Amino acid sequence: MTPPNRDLGRRGLLGAGAATAALPLPSGPTQAAVPPQQRPDMTLTLRINGKAHPLTLAPRVTLLDALREHLALIGAKKGCDQGQCGACTVLIDGHRVLSCLTLAATAEGREITTIEGLAGPDGALHPMQQAFLEQDAFQCGYCTPGQILSAIGCVREGHAERPEDIREYMSGNLCRCAAYPNIVAAIEQAKPRMERA
Amino acid sequence: MPDGSMSGRIGQSPVRVDGRAKVTGAAHYASDMAVPNPAWAWLVTSAIARGRIAAIDEAAARAVPGVLDILTHRSMRGEVGDAGFFAGGGYAGSTIRPLQDDRVRHDGEIVAIVLAEGLEQAREAAYRLRIDYAEETPAAGFGSEGAELVSAREASGGSFEDPGVGDADAAFAGAAIRVAADYATPTQHHNPIELFTTTAQWEDGRLTVFEGSQYVHGLKNGLAAQLGLDPAMVRVESPYIGGAFGSRGSLTQRTALIAVAARRLNRPVKLVATRDQGFTIASYRAETRQHVKLGADTDGRLVALVHEGTEVTSRPDPYKVAGTQTTSRIYACPNIRTRVSLLHADRNTPGFMRSPPELPYMFALESAMDELAHAAGLDPIELRRRNDTMREPIKGLPWTSRSLMPCFDRGAAAFGWAERNPAPRSMREGDWLVGWGCATTIYPTHLGAATARVTLTPDGRARVQTAAHEIGTGTYTVVAQAAAEGLGLPLGKVLVEMGDSDLPPAPVSGGSNVTASVCTVVMQACEQIRARLAAAATEGPLQGRDPATLRLLDGALRAPDGAAEPLAAAMARAANGAIEVYAENIPEGLPPDSLKKLYQGKQALGGGLEGKQHVMAAFGAEFVEVRVHSRTAELRVPRILGAFAAGRIVNPRTARSQLMGGLIWGIGSALHEATEIDRRTARYVNDNIAEYLIPVNADVPQVEVLFVEEEERTANPLGIKGLGELGNVGTNAAIANAVFHATGKRVRELPIRIESVL
Repeated sequence: MTPPNRDLGRRGLLGAGAATAALPLPSGPTQAAVPPQQRPDMTLTLRINGKAHPLTLAPRVTLLDALREHLALIGAKKGCDQGQCGACTVLIDGHRVLSCLTLAATAEGREITTIEGLAGPDGALHPMQQAFLEQDAFQCGYCTPGQILSAIGCVREGHAERPEDIREYMSGNLCRCAAYPNIVAAIEQAKPRMERA
Repeated sequence: MPDGSMSGRIGQSPVRVDGRAKVTGAAHYASDMAVPNPAWAWLVTSAIARGRIAAIDEAAARAVPGVLDILTHRSMRGEVGDAGFFAGGGYAGSTIRPLQDDRVRHDGEIVAIVLAEGLEQAREAAYRLRIDYAEETPAAGFGSEGAELVSAREASGGSFEDPGVGDADAAFAGAAIRVAADYATPTQHHNPIELFTTTAQWEDGRLTVFEGSQYVHGLKNGLAAQLGLDPAMVRVESPYIGGAFGSRGSLTQRTALIAVAARRLNRPVKLVATRDQGFTIASYRAETRQHVKLGADTDGRLVALVHEGTEVTSRPDPYKVAGTQTTSRIYACPNIRTRVSLLHADRNTPGFMRSPPELPYMFALESAMDELAHAAGLDPIELRRRNDTMREPIKGLPWTSRSLMPCFDRGAAAFGWAERNPAPRSMREGDWLVGWGCATTIYPTHLGAATARVTLTPDGRARVQTAAHEIGTGTYTVVAQAAAEGLGLPLGKVLVEMGDSDLPPAPVSGGSNVTASVCTVVMQACEQIRARLAAAATEGPLQGRDPATLRLLDGALRAPDGAAEPLAAAMARAANGAIEVYAENIPEGLPPDSLKKLYQGKQALGGGLEGKQHVMAAFGAEFVEVRVHSRTAELRVPRILGAFAAGRIVNPRTARSQLMGGLIWGIGSALHEATEIDRRTARYVNDNIAEYLIPVNADVPQVEVLFVEEEERTANPLGIKGLGELGNVGTNAAIANAVFHATGKRVRELPIRIESVL
């Protein structure tokens, strides 16, 4: 997501599979020759945490930016905007999805769950939230909404049977504070409670 | 509320008071803060590391619908002044000021800022901005033509002295056992998961900035200096920070530029810099080259220690970490020589990254100690025991407390060290070579001046206000614990407000000083409240008791004989309503102008190894098992254990998490992390978090943290030693030492990768 006058050369290098090969620096973006077009906004309705949200958006708006900048649902976090960190993880129809790599328009008609939708109406925490709290499965808390939603997905997928499975299937969610062992403990704590619920 | 949350005195383990906000998505980080109708900023950063901007063609960018303005050096009108380098009495982490002229001084320097109605439009226009450069050959660092080597002493204008004692070179020449080797550590980036963001808003000439910061008072005062404003007209809000690790400690240049953009547009402006931009618009851990010589007698007692280090920095800024200040003081040795040099290159200015001096320099020293143990035929723990000392060797000052060997003994027992066969390549399981290594870890105990306001209301609730920061360390929680302890209240009755420069100033959240510095001043405020309540208890159930003996405990003012008065009644005697106290503290040994500097937002930590009467640090011992596949050389760390002594542990739950995270940081540093630079272009190659490798969950099967009890009586009244940066210091050498034990191959350059052991 960087202007090409900085990054095209790099992508070209890596794409060529020769990170040290010499390539001339591009002097400017190739798109400069293409006249800008404004595609008309589209209207759509997103169903989030059981509630319908009508929206008017440019078609290129990601689900992450729609949640954060258009609906003030700031629990989903931007950590890389390119599908590397997992901080933007939400559930779509119960499956974990990277909202930064999902166009908002493609989520219409599906059930989106964000961190704001997990606790009960009385404020009772979801078993996974409660387990993260009790196991100190976070420090700064920034990756935590994504970790928790990913953890719920991990349990539902059946990938939380053994600690080594949890570690493997939670490795798409980076935690720079490195709360990893506590995240594994939280998932082990929450799993039977989720299954009972 | 969860179990235990109501019981939260110092030394107990309540769950984090901000935990619920963090697990429900209610915690607001800087870019989560709502501002009305923001415009969006998108940075354009340089495609060269050295040269000049020859031409800028804005036409295609400005044609994008929604574009509002484009800031370049041509359109800036001198709005941003110089805030000075932080280490020279100023505020900025780098004195390289983008958009001031047509020069490009490092890869990824900000060369333009596109402003638009929406983020998608700003991004598109940034892609369409055409910049042509007149490129010059840059110096990337070590081995580059044009890089300039200077001694740290010279660069500091004489204020920095390389520590030393005796005649190390002569002693080394005559030593019975000698090791000498070169070590190298790479460029590393903090990569907190929260991106570098800034939101700026002007209202009636007052500027409010929402930005993740480890030092809101520093940012506020630095911004005011850059923008020519009265600091009272600037407010920085940073209630939650999505990881920092040093990257958000000093002022970066983006903030003032976004403030200028907001003033020009007369509306709030929001910047969320991209991950790759984060590699070049903030700081990083500098690459080092080091040389260590150790000489010992036949018993393994050190007779000579030489440690030389060279660190890469930018052209203008003499940033250094000089970890020789630490490595020269750890072990008893009569002859020590150190020297630190800086290599100025066409790079951004490096800066603090978790355990800045200790991580690279202790990798070298603790690797060399392992080499010496091998050469002497001694167990590495025994070598450290023979060189343990309760006085640092440079000036002969005593350690206030030091529990290095208890940590080694406790850790060794828990790890099973006695089962280790000392011969390299002697332990094996199937196709895997098994290696066990250990190393000393240390982090100096820093302290800073701090202030806090504590308000006790008649309903038995307390509010604590201090501009400290929650970077994941659990500061909200430990500060609440201090107030709960000081006022005898349940934790749930204490509200802590932090992360706002309108609050009483607290030191930078760096150098692992905050728990000690801030809890101390909060306890002082609580003591003043207790004293007022006790002085007023002249009638009623406490009549006749010595006020000095009265304590606040469990919601009452209590005498040693059991007499007690409920808090509400005691308060009614002392005040008509609330009692509010504003406390200021300068830790013992810090200069008297420390408070003045605190109000000016200038970092002025003391303690540590700089003391005149004594030196203070937390110590630990780290143990690692590595497995190296005998055919593929795949490296794994199946288990890691650290035993730590850090004085009084305020909250064992959060302290354990800090140390656990530190150990895993150490694994990352030893095995994964390096920012690769193209030596010809001086540009970063892997500036994203898929290719800049950091540990993931699957990398860390088993991490064990042990606390060794330690009584610290001198450092501060609570006996606290900071530990946030203690965990990741020893790990690098412990892993390298374990790799040697597994394979017989000594790796002296980080990170250790498959190709290192082939």
